[in-house]
Amino acid sequence: MTIQKLETGNTSFDHISHGGLPLGRTTLVAGSSGSAKTLFAAQFLAMGIELFGQAGVFVTFEEQVDDIRKNLKSFNWDIDTWEKEGKWIFLDAAPKEEIIIAVGDFDLSAFRIRLERAVKRCNAQRVVIDSIGSIFTQFHEEIHTIRRELIQVALTLSRLGATSIITAERLEEYGKITRFGVEEFLTDNVVLLRNVLHNEKRRRTIEILKFRGSNHEKGENPFSINVEKAIVIIPLSAMNLKHTSSDERVTSGIAALNKMINGGFFKGSINLVSGAIGAGKTLMVANFVNGIRENNERCLLMAFEESSEQLFRNAAGWGIDFKQLEDEGLLKVICVYPEVSSLEDHFINIQDIVKTFKPDRIAIDSLSALSRTSSDKGFREFIIAFTAYLKHQQITGMFTSNTPLLAGGTSDTEGNISPITDTIILLRYVEMSGEMQRSIAVLKMRGSKHDTSIRKFCITDSGAEIGNQFEGISGILTGNPMLIKLE
Amino acid sequence: MSMHVFQLFINGHTPNSVEAVDTLLKICKENLNDNYDLEIIDIQEYPEKAEEAGIIAIPTLIRMMPTPVNRIIGALNVRSRVLAGLGISSMHK
Repeated sequence: MTIQKLETGNTSFDHISHGGLPLGRTTLVAGSSGSAKTLFAAQFLAMGIELFGQAGVFVTFEEQVDDIRKNLKSFNWDIDTWEKEGKWIFLDAAPKEEIIIAVGDFDLSAFRIRLERAVKRCNAQRVVIDSIGSIFTQFHEEIHTIRRELIQVALTLSRLGATSIITAERLEEYGKITRFGVEEFLTDNVVLLRNVLHNEKRRRTIEILKFRGSNHEKGENPFSINVEKAIVIIPLSAMNLKHTSSDERVTSGIAALNKMINGGFFKGSINLVSGAIGAGKTLMVANFVNGIRENNERCLLMAFEESSEQLFRNAAGWGIDFKQLEDEGLLKVICVYPEVSSLEDHFINIQDIVKTFKPDRIAIDSLSALSRTSSDKGFREFIIAFTAYLKHQQITGMFTSNTPLLAGGTSDTEGNISPITDTIILLRYVEMSGEMQRSIAVLKMRGSKHDTSIRKFCITDSGAEIGNQFEGISGILTGNPMLIKLE
Repeated sequence: MSMHVFQLFINGHTPNSVEAVDTLLKICKENLNDNYDLEIIDIQEYPEKAEEAGIIAIPTLIRMMPTPVNRIIGALNVRSRVLAGLGISSMHK
């Protein structure tokens, strides 16, 4: 395991690849059409110039140079200037308008000589060839010749010592690596990009299939494309459970609830509030937010169901002044529809806010709304990545989830999230004697004693009130409460 | 018959290059009389010309005139196909 890596500059990729691409070697980046191969490759060059002052050569076998320039402009990479400064060289090997016919044997020595010349001219440390499949299409009758010649190209690259990416098409997301079998000679380092449609939702992932002689994270990691950072990978497999767990308690914002959970939530813990509509979840969140007062903490509230006006009004109705907290700079409220972006983008967005705002607490109301934007698998991965992230940052989190049934029951969201939460609080309706009463119970609390009783929970003008245990009643959690005769 | 203008890109004395030059010279002599202009470019000597013309494969023959411009790659070893590709009638002497 002594192969050196070249830091690409895309921090999330360097993370899952344990340091970047194998230095001085060629990596095959394969993906179906629209899987962001070209972007991945271009970002590799752009980051090299921006962050490390390493020049790059971009060889195009497919798209016209002008189109690539235009497409990449949206990522704020100043390719025109880099070209003028000799840091970025385009090598145009794209198909020409002219008709080409082949008569007899040929080789690609002209291409190799041009490539070598370009690399030497700018002293390039990074080379991209995009995409190798197109040259097979350009010379479709001579596939054997092309294959033989590409081996020569690979040898040239290796002699030049530049770290390079060759992109190639795949026809299926889960099948043989490339369409023209180039993996036969570009076999040492393979990265796969996928763009899978599942349940009407697109999910982009990246997988490092192999880096010969070197370590990397295994399996698929979702990624997202945004304008500021281009490809951002959410490193699932690189998440670890090494975060420290704190003994420090922080208030839930409700004194009686603190008592039920033996003093408060643990700092840096993930706490789930589950309940049907109107059961008091947002009230719990409001109190959790207000709890920052006690130790002068800061809180980020992500609301996916209500507008901020609604939230502020409701909180005011319970005697909690969000406006004041916001004015003091202790609270940041972000209200968005979950559908405005993908789960991955939400995650990246939250990370950005955390970086600048540095909250001690995060409340998400509700996770169920957020889960609409993704497949089950995607959502589960998001939750794992997100909770690991929060724990790493020592941020105390409160998430809410909706149960579909008014009384009893659990939701799918909970099924995904409950194993990784530290505390689960159930808010359930109890239908008793022609009245809907509310109840609260602490289902679990990791590393702490907690009250096991199911208590009355009232929402009043002054906020939440937690009352006595429901005595002589059973079946609340299953949604069929019954009076038991007390002897 | 109209004037033919060709560029032939070769790489030194590789077998494919030598064969392409031979065949093309023969065709020019036998089919075009003196009514042609042939520029043979060795990419080892003039790589910038290969760059300019966007040459990938060697040998590459470009017919600049008559238009439309077209390209034939390969050692040109099937004479009838080269003639067809260049739009020269083999009956023409």
